[in-house]
Amino acid sequence: MPEYKAPLRDIRFVRNEVLGFEEHYANLPEGQDATPDMVDAIMEEGAKFCEQVLSPLNRVGDEEGCTWAEEGVRTPTGFKEAYQQFVEGGWPSLSSDVEHGGQGLPSSLGLVLSEMMGEANWSWGMYPGLSHGAMNTLEAHGTDEQKETYLTRLISGEWTGTMCLTESHCGTDLGMLKTRAVPQEDGTYRITGTKIFISAGEHDMAENIVHIVLARLPGAPEGTKGISLFIVPRHRPDAPGETNGVSCGSIEHKMGIHGNATCVMNFDDATGYLIGEVNKGLNHMFTFMNSARLGTGIQGLAHAEVAYQGAVRYARDRLQMRSLSGVKNPDGPADPIIVHPDVRRMLLTIKALTEGNRALVYYVAQIADLMKSPDEDVRKQADLEMSFLTPIVKAFMTETGFEAANHGLQCYGGHGFISEWGMEQNVRDCRIAMLYEGTTGIQALDLLGRKVLMTQGATMRPFTKVVHKFCQAQADNGELQEFIKPLTALNKEWGDLTMQIGMKAMQNKEEVGAASVDYLMYSGYACLAYFWARMALTAKEALANGTTEEGFYKAKIQTAQFYFQRLLPRAQMHKACIESGADNLMAMREEDFGDV
Amino acid sequence: MADYKAPLRDMRFIMYDVFNVEEQWSQWPAVSETVDQETADAILEEAAKLASRTIAPLNRSGDEEGCKWDHGQVSTPEGYKEAYKLFAEGGWSGLGGNPVYGGMGMPKVLAAQFDEMVCSASLAFTLYPSLGAGASLAIDAHASDALKEAYLPPMYSGEWAGTMCLTEPHAGTDLGIIRTKAEDKGDGSYAITGTKIFITGGEHDLTENIIHLVLAKLPDAPPGPKGISLFLVPKFLVNEDGSLGERNTLGCGSIEHKMGINGSATCVMNFDGAKGYLVGELNKGLNAMFTMMNYERLFVGIQGLGSSEMSYQNALEYAQDRIQGRSASGAVQKDKAADPLIVHGDIRRMLLSMKALNEGGRAFSTYVARQLDIAKFSQDEHEKEKASALVALLTPVVKAFLTDAGLESCVAGQQVLGGHGFIREWGQEQLVRDVRITQIYEGTNGIQALDLLGRKIALGGGTYLETFLSEVWASVDADDEFTEELLAAVGKLEELTRTLLAQSENDPNVINSACVDYLNAFAYVAYGWMWSLMSKTATNKLAEGGEDQSWLEAKQVTARYYFKRLLPRFDSSAAAALSGTEELFALSPGQFQ
Repeated sequence: MPEYKAPLRDIRFVRNEVLGFEEHYANLPEGQDATPDMVDAIMEEGAKFCEQVLSPLNRVGDEEGCTWAEEGVRTPTGFKEAYQQFVEGGWPSLSSDVEHGGQGLPSSLGLVLSEMMGEANWSWGMYPGLSHGAMNTLEAHGTDEQKETYLTRLISGEWTGTMCLTESHCGTDLGMLKTRAVPQEDGTYRITGTKIFISAGEHDMAENIVHIVLARLPGAPEGTKGISLFIVPRHRPDAPGETNGVSCGSIEHKMGIHGNATCVMNFDDATGYLIGEVNKGLNHMFTFMNSARLGTGIQGLAHAEVAYQGAVRYARDRLQMRSLSGVKNPDGPADPIIVHPDVRRMLLTIKALTEGNRALVYYVAQIADLMKSPDEDVRKQADLEMSFLTPIVKAFMTETGFEAANHGLQCYGGHGFISEWGMEQNVRDCRIAMLYEGTTGIQALDLLGRKVLMTQGATMRPFTKVVHKFCQAQADNGELQEFIKPLTALNKEWGDLTMQIGMKAMQNKEEVGAASVDYLMYSGYACLAYFWARMALTAKEALANGTTEEGFYKAKIQTAQFYFQRLLPRAQMHKACIESGADNLMAMREEDFGDV
Repeated sequence: MADYKAPLRDMRFIMYDVFNVEEQWSQWPAVSETVDQETADAILEEAAKLASRTIAPLNRSGDEEGCKWDHGQVSTPEGYKEAYKLFAEGGWSGLGGNPVYGGMGMPKVLAAQFDEMVCSASLAFTLYPSLGAGASLAIDAHASDALKEAYLPPMYSGEWAGTMCLTEPHAGTDLGIIRTKAEDKGDGSYAITGTKIFITGGEHDLTENIIHLVLAKLPDAPPGPKGISLFLVPKFLVNEDGSLGERNTLGCGSIEHKMGINGSATCVMNFDGAKGYLVGELNKGLNAMFTMMNYERLFVGIQGLGSSEMSYQNALEYAQDRIQGRSASGAVQKDKAADPLIVHGDIRRMLLSMKALNEGGRAFSTYVARQLDIAKFSQDEHEKEKASALVALLTPVVKAFLTDAGLESCVAGQQVLGGHGFIREWGQEQLVRDVRITQIYEGTNGIQALDLLGRKIALGGGTYLETFLSEVWASVDADDEFTEELLAAVGKLEELTRTLLAQSENDPNVINSACVDYLNAFAYVAYGWMWSLMSKTATNKLAEGGEDQSWLEAKQVTARYYFKRLLPRFDSSAAAALSGTEELFALSPGQFQ
C-alpha cells in the first residue's frame, strides 16, 4: 500500500494562490477566526492525523471488514481507537455552530479535512462523515430542544448519525417508500419499516447513533409529497440503557469500503420525533443535499490522489525496458517506467483530473460558504451557482476519479491486481461513489432537467459569466492564448448546446434523459478547462514574479497543456452524442434488447 | 445474477450469415471432413449447456471461497474438480488440438464461440483448462515428436493441465532481463532453477499432472531477449510407458490475494534444479512463444467479451424487473407503482452501449479467428499470407479493445443495478473485479498498443494497414446505409496513420505517446466496419423475408446506435493521438510529485 502523504502544497496552491481563500475568509463573518496561521495549523495537524492514524488502518479495514453479531456491529481493529482520537482532537466540531459547541469555522475548511481523511481511509471517514447529514438536518429544521439534545452530541462526536432513505424496493424513486410513522398521544411517533444500504447504521465507535428516517404518516398523500422526516435514536436520551426498537438485521458484503458497515436497519415500533413539518420531509432533505453531494464528489478526488501517489512512486521505482530516446538509467538493467510515454500519459491523466477536480471542488466550497452570508443577494447568487455545480461535482468528479483509480492500477501492471499493493482496493472503494447519493444518471437528470432547463438557464449563467469575464480579462494576455482561445469558444458552445437541447426537449421529453449524462460530462470538462486556465495563469504569474519553486509552477502549466490537448477533446465526443438525439435510444422495442 | 443464456442466435448470424464460414470449411481438406454447419451447431448447443449448467453455477461460490494454499498444495473451490472432469470428458480441452495426437482439429472460429461461452460462465474456472490448451499449442508447434507423443494426448484429453511460466518478480513486460537458469545435463534434459510469479493454474488439485512451459536462460546465452529458451517442465516426470514417475523438484511457494478471479490460483512457482526438456531451438524461446501468442491474445480479448456479455444479460434482466420512476413521455405501467428502468433514456444508453460493443466485438473477434483459420487451413498461399498479415495487425486490437470494452460494459452494467451493483450477492461487482485483469495480463493494453502502432503499422511500413483497408473497401457497397460514414472514418484513420508515421521520423517518442489513443481510434473504425457488415446482412435477410424479423431489425437499430453514439469517440481519440509528445515529456520525473 502506498504510504499516504497529504497533498498540502497542492491544496494551498488551489486555495490560497488560485482561489484567494485568505481574502475570502477575511470577508466572511465566520471566517474571522480562520486566519492564515490558524488555517495552516489546522491543515498541518489534520494531515498528521490522517497520515499517521487513519492511513495505516486503510488496508486492515479492507481485509478485516466489519463483523455482524446479534449484539451489534464490530468495526475493524483500530477503527474505534482512531475515532476516540478524532473526538479528543476536537475534529468533529470544526465547522459547526458555536451555539451548539462547534468551533464555527467555515465549512470549506472542514472540506480540507474531509479530503485528507478520505484519501487516507475513505471507509473510516464515512463514520464521522455521515453525521454531517444528520447535523445539517437538525440545524436547518430541528427545534431548539432537538438541537440541544442531539445536535450538541453529534457536534462533539459523542454520537454519530445516519441518513435512512433507501428501502429494498426504492432507491432513486423515494416516492414509493413504505416505512410508517404512527403518531402517539405524547407527540412522538412509532416508526416501523426496513431501510437498506444504511452506511454506518450500526457500529461500536460511539455510544449512540442518531438515525434520520424518512417515513409516511397514515393517510399521507401518495408519492413524494407524503414523506416526513424523523429523528430515531438507537437509544432514547431519556432511556439510555434501553434499545429503542432499532436494530441492524445484517450488513452487506460489498465490492469495497469493507471497513464501513452498510446496514439493513429494522425499525420496529421505534420511538421517533418529527423534524420540521409533516409531509415536507423531502423538501427538508433538499436543503442540504448539495453539501452531502459535495462530500461524495470529494471521494472521486480522494481516490484519484491515492492513485497518483502510488502510481508515481511505482513508476519511478520499477525498472522495465529502455527509453526509446536513449538509455536513461545506464547503471540499472532497465529504465524506470516513468520514462515511457504511455506511462506518462496515464500519470498525467490522473494528475490533470485530480488537480482540476480539486480546484473545482474548493471553488464550489467557497460558494457554499457564501450561502450563509448575511447579504440576501449574495446568498441567492450563491444558491444558484451551487445548485448548478453540485451535480457536476458529484458525478463528474466520481466518474473521473474512477478512471484515475483504474489508471493507477494499470501503471502497476500485474501487481495492480494484487491486494497487497493497495491499488485494487482503491478501485474497489472508489466504485461506490458513482452510485450512492444519487447515481451519475440521476445527477445528470438533476443538472440538465431540473437545474438548467427548468430555470431557462438561470442557474447556469452565474458560472458561465465567471468564465466569460475571465476570458475577457485575459483576452490580451499573449502567453495564455493556448488556453483562453479554446476556453472562450467552449464557453460559448456550452451555452449554444444547452439552448439546442432545450429546444429539442420542448418537442420530445425524452431528449433530456437521452442527453443528460453526456451533457454532464461535457460540462465537467468545460469546468476543468476553466480551472486549468486559471491555474496556468497563477503559475505564470508566480514564475514571472520569481520563485524558488520553479519546477512546481512549470508543472502546473505543463499539466494545463496536457489537459487542453489530450483530455478536452473528449468534450466534442460528448457533444456529438448529445446532438445525435433521443431516437437512437428510444427506437428499439423493449423485447428486442434480447431474451433474458 | 441472471442465468447465463448463450447468445447462439447471434453467434450463428455472425458465423454463417455475415462471414459464410461454412462455405470455407467445405473447401479446406483438413476441415471439411471434421466439421460442417450441422456439426458446428451441435457443438455450440453442447457448449452452451456446459457453460450454463456446469460452469456458471460455480462462478460466485468460486469467488467467495477462493483457492487455498497449504504447504505447497493448492485446493480449488468446491465443485471445480467435478466440473473440470465433465469439461475434460466432453473432449473440450482438445477442441482445437492437432488430430494426430488426439485433438479434435476444430477451426478457431468455432472454438472462439466456445471460448466466449465458458468465459461468460466463469472466467476464473475457465482459465484452468484454457492454459492447458495454450501450452499444447506451443508444444504442437515447436516441440520434438517425442515430446508431442508423450505430452499432447493427455493434455488434449484434459487429464493433464498446463501453464505458461514467463514473468519473474523483476521482469514482466521486459522478459529480456529474466534470471531463471537452465543447465544442460548432457542427457537431453536441462536443470531449471528460478522463481516465476503470476503463474495462473501453476498448482491445483484438478489434474494428476501439470505441464509447465518455462522461459529460462542457459549460462552462456546472449543477454536480452535473444538468449531466452523455452522448456517443458512437468510437475511429475513421465515414464517411458506414459505413466507418472517421480515428483519433479518444483513447487508452489504461495498464491496471490487478488482483486478478482479468486477461483483461479495465481502462483509463485519455484524451480529448484527441476528436470526440463527443450522446446524448439536454443535461444529461440521468445519466437516459440510468439506462435501461440496470437491465439492467446485473441482468447484474452474474448475473455473481455464473455464478461461483457454476462454483464449485459444481468443488467438487462434488472432493467426489465426493477421498477423505479416514470417514463419521461408518460407512464408505461399504469397499474404499477413505477415503470421498469428500461423505459429511461439513460438506462437505454448504457444497455445499448453494451449491446453494440458486445455484438461488434463478437463479430470482430470472429473475423480475426477466421483469419487464423485461413492462415492455418487454406490451400491458397496468397490468401494465407494475407490472413497472416491481418492476424498480426488485428490481434493487439482484439486483445486491448475487447478487454477495455469489457471493463466499460461491466462497469456500465453495475451502474444499471444502482446500489445493488456494489453488493456481492448480485454478482455484478464480481464481473468488474474479474474482468479487470484482462487489461493487464498477456501484455498490458499499453503494450498491445505499442505492438500495433510501433511494430505492426510503423515497421510494416503501412502494408498491413493497406491489406486491412482493402478488405474494408472490397466489402462495402455504395448504397449500404452506413457506407458514407464508414468510409469517412476510414479516410480519417488513414490520415491519422500517415501523420503519425511522418511525425515519428523526427521524434522517437511519437509512437509510444500516441499508441493507446491510436488503437482506440483504429478499433472504432474496425467495429464500424463490423456494424456496417452486420446491418447490411440484416437488411438483405429482411428483404428475403426471412424469419426473425424483429431480431434482424434490432441489428439495424443497434448499428445506428453504434454510428451515432460510439463512433464519435474516434475523433476524441484521434485528437489526443495527434496532440504530440511535448506535453508528455515536459515534466521531469521529480515534477510529477
